[in-house]
Amino acid sequence: MTSSERVCITGVGAVCGAGGTVDAIWDAVIAGRSVIGPITRWETSDWPARRAAEVANMDSRTLVEDRKLHKLISRTDLFGLYAADAAIKQSGLAVYRETLAPDAVALFNDRCGVFAGCGGGNYQNNYDFFPLLTKAEGNLETFGRELQTSVNPMWLLRNLPNNVLCHIGIRHNFKGTNACITQQCLAGALAVSEAAASIRAGEADRAVAVGHDTPLEPETVLHYHRLGLMSEDTLRPFDATRSGTIFGEGAAAVVLEKTAQARTRDVKILGEFLGSGCVTEATGIVEVRPDGDGLARAIRLALQDAGLSANAVGFIVAHGNGTRASDASEASAIYEVFGPNPPPVTAFKWAFGHLIAASGPLDMVLALRALKCGTVPGVGTFRRADPDLPPLPLSAFPQKPSSNIALVLSRGFAAMNLALLVGMDED
Amino acid sequence: MTRRRVAITGVGMVTPVGNNAPDTWGSLRAGRSGLGVIQNFDASGFSARIGAEVKGFKPNGLVGDRKLLKLASRAHGFALAAAEEAFADAGLRPEPHTGHRWGCSVGAGMMGVAFEELQNLHRHCAEDGEFSPAALVDSRFPADPIAFCRSQSNTGLALLTRHFSIRGYATCVHTACASGGQALGTALKVLRRGAADFMLAGGYDSMLNPIGVGAFCLLGALSTDNDAPERASRPFDATRNGFVLGEGAGFLVLEDWEAAHRRGARIYAELAGDGNSLSSYRITDSHPSGDGPIQAMQQALADAGLAPEEVDYVNAHGTSTVMNDRSECSALRVVMGRHLEHVAVSSTKSCMGHLIAAAGAVEAGVCALAIRDGIAPVNANFLHPDPDCDVDLVKGKSRAMPIRVALSNSFGFGGSNSCLAFRGSAES
Repeated sequence: MTSSERVCITGVGAVCGAGGTVDAIWDAVIAGRSVIGPITRWETSDWPARRAAEVANMDSRTLVEDRKLHKLISRTDLFGLYAADAAIKQSGLAVYRETLAPDAVALFNDRCGVFAGCGGGNYQNNYDFFPLLTKAEGNLETFGRELQTSVNPMWLLRNLPNNVLCHIGIRHNFKGTNACITQQCLAGALAVSEAAASIRAGEADRAVAVGHDTPLEPETVLHYHRLGLMSEDTLRPFDATRSGTIFGEGAAAVVLEKTAQARTRDVKILGEFLGSGCVTEATGIVEVRPDGDGLARAIRLALQDAGLSANAVGFIVAHGNGTRASDASEASAIYEVFGPNPPPVTAFKWAFGHLIAASGPLDMVLALRALKCGTVPGVGTFRRADPDLPPLPLSAFPQKPSSNIALVLSRGFAAMNLALLVGMDED
Repeated sequence: MTRRRVAITGVGMVTPVGNNAPDTWGSLRAGRSGLGVIQNFDASGFSARIGAEVKGFKPNGLVGDRKLLKLASRAHGFALAAAEEAFADAGLRPEPHTGHRWGCSVGAGMMGVAFEELQNLHRHCAEDGEFSPAALVDSRFPADPIAFCRSQSNTGLALLTRHFSIRGYATCVHTACASGGQALGTALKVLRRGAADFMLAGGYDSMLNPIGVGAFCLLGALSTDNDAPERASRPFDATRNGFVLGEGAGFLVLEDWEAAHRRGARIYAELAGDGNSLSSYRITDSHPSGDGPIQAMQQALADAGLAPEEVDYVNAHGTSTVMNDRSECSALRVVMGRHLEHVAVSSTKSCMGHLIAAAGAVEAGVCALAIRDGIAPVNANFLHPDPDCDVDLVKGKSRAMPIRVALSNSFGFGGSNSCLAFRGSAES
């Protein structure tokens, strides 16, 4: 074990197509209800891939009240701030700060870390330059001259990948160690594990970690489709008939703090961060190894980090993105580590789509809820096990966890794999 | 348990003043400018028409893997070349039996799509200025999976880990101009906590295209001294009027101090401390008092177990903007106190411009070389003292002086501040 400092979770927040609270999202998942439906954001009747889990009924004002911010940041940032605000509110940190003496407040702020994971570099940002390109008719001299009359002067700031980091800082006056991780599907999960590492190492006393993303845009959908990664109907992780993934959008956040410190104030501890492991398979951008080598190594590193053996794990929240190759190699990795009798396995993306950078923290927040309820939700769209995969204890219906420890898996481009272990005390 | 110490054993750079580390360092020592009128594209209509471009860069000869380079943007090419140089310099590479103990931490720029591709998309799907999803799905565009792969936020990381067979921890960060510093800080932490034994760490960026230059022109952040590009970047000078956009990459090989000794590696310096804070003030500036940068520098010193009195040289963020340079000097005054008059300060952005996400990584390499050679590189173009920037600038020419400890500052839009502390191997 690398550190003796225990790290707990005292606040959670989330938004996705299944709802604007962790409760609402949990209710949909446990009821076996998928919110994947037709894409309405643009006309998709002629499209080969036209389904997603959109966030509906959440305008900018609902997400973040401060109207001044709406012009300064983009929708993915609003999701991130919304989830982070909810997690910080639940943690009661702002209320606690008010009880401190003025000089203690400055130290408190300097010891609050902020870690964001974002999708980074969305395509649509660049479309703001299209009217100018039309006007310029291929002439760059005109492009330069007409810039000021055509493009919002704040364009760069609106599109900074680290906006959520910046505005969590400004809104909550958190000023400690920080990172904005642009690791595609792994970004949010890595934000959580880096936040926990910073607390363990004594660089921060507490930190908010958030993942946010809006992959649902025409270019991304079409690219995924042409790479053979996008399903045309729905997302069925590990199913014999699985045909690809489906996008969602939204954000999820957690507040992490030193367990010893959280116990000194009146706050409910929602769970404990136990360990993590992060590795790449070094196979390139979209390729993954069929044997699940990287994921198996990540799981073993997480167990080692937590000082646990594989049989301590009570259930697994798989990445389960529904693509042929990723699910197959994931099943291989689980088999490799846990043998023929792994603990119950589930996955959540079938319910609200793949949130890319936000998917890891959202899965983790739901894993904590599953621990609290003592119920592992079923995979609502699961019909038939894939005979070509090692058998997994995966079901369309809820299962019982075999212990109070959950393993949450995230995978992403660059052949990345991350395993997180969270637990819950029995008290 | 004593904390693991981290040695810098390899340095690689591709910058506007040299396509490798020795050339870059030679230029910085001599105060040679890499700034000029932008050649990459016709910038004649832009308010700022000058930049610090990488010149004559040919990744083919340096990287060798043509298939891989098809997936690489201009900035990825810089990254692959600088990383190759760092490995060669260290005399150490990931091997089949060590690859899983190697990690990679990069600060990556924010631009995913090349301008030519955006123009192509515009031609097919937005001719009248309005993007049409129907036109997108009708056309063969974007049928090119390579263009998609090239544009991902972690593509550079994917190419580096694949090309060099790095199979352990890997991360990719972006906090604007603090990215490179934060990537190295992350690498230090990963090594200390034992999640890897070796790290390739650095940053890469290129925003010298019509979108990048345009975006900074719109903010009024760039110097518009179009007739005197070589003097346009003049950090801490009273007449400074904005930064000059650069491009490039910097990479370091980091490893366990004892292990580096055992294998007889040549150690440039110890990466001894990391400080990392959020200003939480405004998106583009820190408070004039230096709040934010102050905490970053204090943490870096504390993390390295150093007193301010031990610092000999600071490689400043020094962007040559009115606000940054003032706030940074305020912070230096608070952190260094009376020792400030004994601290040599320079911004090498005076010669090579602002490399944005690569800046902190290249400047970390500069600190390693400054310590090795006992030379504080010149803060070029300084003529007019600014009472708000009353620090001991390395004026006129580079200064030969023993450097026990150096700090490197990188502060970004969004309020992230990074400070790295380096200690000479004789001091360690």
